[in-house]
Amino acid sequence: MARVLSILAALAGSFLLLFLAAPIAELVGVGGAEGLKRLVSDGELRGSLLLTALCATAATLIGVFTATPLAYLLARRTFPGRALLAAILDLPLLIPHPVAGIALLLLLGRESAVGGAALEMGLRIVGTPIGIIAAMLFVSAPLFVSGAREAFAKVDPRYEGVARTLGDTPWRAFHRVTLPLAGRGLLASSVVMWARAVSEFGAIVILTYNPKVVSVLSYDRFTSFGLSEALPVAAALAILALIPLTVLRALRPDTGMER
Amino acid sequence: MITLESLSATKGRFALHEVSFTLERGAYGVVIGPAGAGKTTLLEVVGGLLAPRTGRLHLDGRNMRGVPPEDRGIGLVYQHAFLFPHLSVRENVAYGAADAATLDEAIDRMGVTPLLARDVRSLSGGERQLVALARALARRPRILLLDEPFSALDPRRRVLIRREVRALHRAWGLTTLQVTHDFAEAGMLGDQAILLDGGRILQAGAPAEVFRRPASPYVAEFLGAENVLAGAARDLGEAAPDWLDGDPREYAQGHRAFAFESEGLTLYAVGDFVPGAGHAVIRAEEITLARGQTHDSARNRFSGRITELVTLGALTRVTVDVRGTPIVAALTTRSAQELSLEPGLAVVVTFKAMAVHLC
Repeated sequence: MARVLSILAALAGSFLLLFLAAPIAELVGVGGAEGLKRLVSDGELRGSLLLTALCATAATLIGVFTATPLAYLLARRTFPGRALLAAILDLPLLIPHPVAGIALLLLLGRESAVGGAALEMGLRIVGTPIGIIAAMLFVSAPLFVSGAREAFAKVDPRYEGVARTLGDTPWRAFHRVTLPLAGRGLLASSVVMWARAVSEFGAIVILTYNPKVVSVLSYDRFTSFGLSEALPVAAALAILALIPLTVLRALRPDTGMER
Repeated sequence: MITLESLSATKGRFALHEVSFTLERGAYGVVIGPAGAGKTTLLEVVGGLLAPRTGRLHLDGRNMRGVPPEDRGIGLVYQHAFLFPHLSVRENVAYGAADAATLDEAIDRMGVTPLLARDVRSLSGGERQLVALARALARRPRILLLDEPFSALDPRRRVLIRREVRALHRAWGLTTLQVTHDFAEAGMLGDQAILLDGGRILQAGAPAEVFRRPASPYVAEFLGAENVLAGAARDLGEAAPDWLDGDPREYAQGHRAFAFESEGLTLYAVGDFVPGAGHAVIRAEEITLARGQTHDSARNRFSGRITELVTLGALTRVTVDVRGTPIVAALTTRSAQELSLEPGLAVVVTFKAMAVHLC
C-alpha cells in the first residue's frame, strides 16, 4: 500500500513539475536563441529590458525601505489591529492585477487629488516610469512583507535581549544583531519581490502602456505582429527572470541560530 | 541589591505572581525551581527584557520602572548562551566589553582563550556557555543574572568555573542571581536560596536553613528530603534543655517539644510548630544506624529491618522498614561496610529531636 502511495505521489509531483517547466522550456527552446540575438539588434527590446530592470529595482528598494519596519512590527509585537494590518498588507495579492491597476489609476490619475497635486508639482505619474514603479510596488511589496516577517520571526528575540544587556539601544541591537541574522531571509524576500515586479503586466498596462516594460512589449508585439515577433521578447523576459531565481536558490536558509 | 515588591509578570505560559524578595548588594542568590516555575521569566524581569504587570523592582536602590536593559548595569547569561552566530567568538566576547583590561580578565578567568579563533557554530554546548559567561563579564556588570550557566559543562569544568564565577563575584563585588534546578549548586554557591514554583516563592532564606527547615512537605520533597511523614503534632510544653542538643540559644528562642504521631510511630521533635496536622521531615544524613541497642542522647529510637541498600560512590542509602514505615538513612559506604549492613538485617534507627523538622 505504501509503495502504491509513493508511486502515486511521484506521478503527481512529476505531472506538476512537467506542467510548470514544459512551457518555459518550450519558450526558451524555441525563442531563446532569437531573443539573445535580438538583444543585439533590437534597440526597443534592450531599452525595455533596462526599463523593466530599473523600475523593478526602484520598486524593490522602496519596498524594502518602507516594508521592513512593518514586517518587524508584525513579527515582534502584539497590538490591537495587528490582524487587520496583516490582512491589508496581503490584499494586493488577492485582487486581480488589472483591478489593482484601475485602483491605482483612481488614486494617482490626473483627475485624482494625489495625481492632480503631483502634476501641479510637475510630476506626472500615469504614463511614465513612476507609474510603472507604483504598479510594481503595489503588486510585489506584500511578498516582501510576508517573507521579511517570517525572516524576523525566525530570529529569537533573546538575541536582541542579550545585545540590550550588553549595552545596545533597541536600534543598535536591531542593526548589529537582528538585521544580520534576518539578512538572508530579507535578501531572499527582496529577490522574490524583484522577480514579481519584473513579471508584472496587468497593473502596469493600465497605468503606463508607454514606455513599455518587457511584459507589455511582448503583449504589444503579439497583438501587432503575431507569435513570431512576441516569442523572442517573451524568451528574453524568461531568461531575465532566471537570474533572480538562481540567486534565490543560492541563498541557503541555514543561519546557525539557536532555537 | 535586588529588591522585588509584589511583582507580577506574564510571558507566554510562564507567569510570576506577587513575587517579593531582597538580595543584598554583593550577595549570591540562587533561584531554584522545577521546569516552568518562572525562573527565567524572573531573570528577564530583573534584566528589563520583560516589563512587570504590577509591583516594583529596585536595583541598588533605584526604581527600575522605565529603565531600559542597557542602563541597568546587568549581565545576563542564558542557558543556551545565545551567542551571535554571525560574529566570531572574539567578537562575541568583546561585544559589550567595558574596556580592554576587563575583556582580557573575563577571557582569562573563563578560560576561553583557545576558543577565540573558533567559529561560534563549531562550539559545544559547554564552550558556548563559557563564551557567554565571558561576554557578560567583559561588560563588568554590577548585577549578574545567570540562567543555568553551568548546565552544559562537564563535571570537572563545572567545578572550576563555579569557583571562578564565585571568585569574580567576590572580587568585583557583584550581586548575582542564578537560576538552577540543582539544590546542591545552590548550597555550594548561594548566600540566599529562593524556591520558586508556579511563579510563586515557596521559601527564601539561607540555603542551609531552607535545606534543614523546608516550609512545606512539597519543598522538602523538592529539595530531596527522603523522609517526609504525614501525621499530627501534640505540644509537650517547653523543650527541656537536654532535648536541644545542648544549644541554649534554641531554648531561649522559646522552642517547644512535640510528640508527632505518624502511622503508629511517635517521633519527638523540637520547634516552633503550631500543634495539629502536619508533616515531619528528617534528612537522611541526620539518621544513624546501629546493630543492637546503643546509648546516646537521641530522643528518637526505633527498631527495624533493612529492606534496601543503594551505594552511590562514597555514600550508601539504607532503607529501613520501621513498623511499616520506610525510613531512609544516608551513611558513608565505609560505615555501611564496617557495620556489615545487608537487606533483612535488624538495626536500630536513631535521630535527635532537633533533627525532626515539623512543617
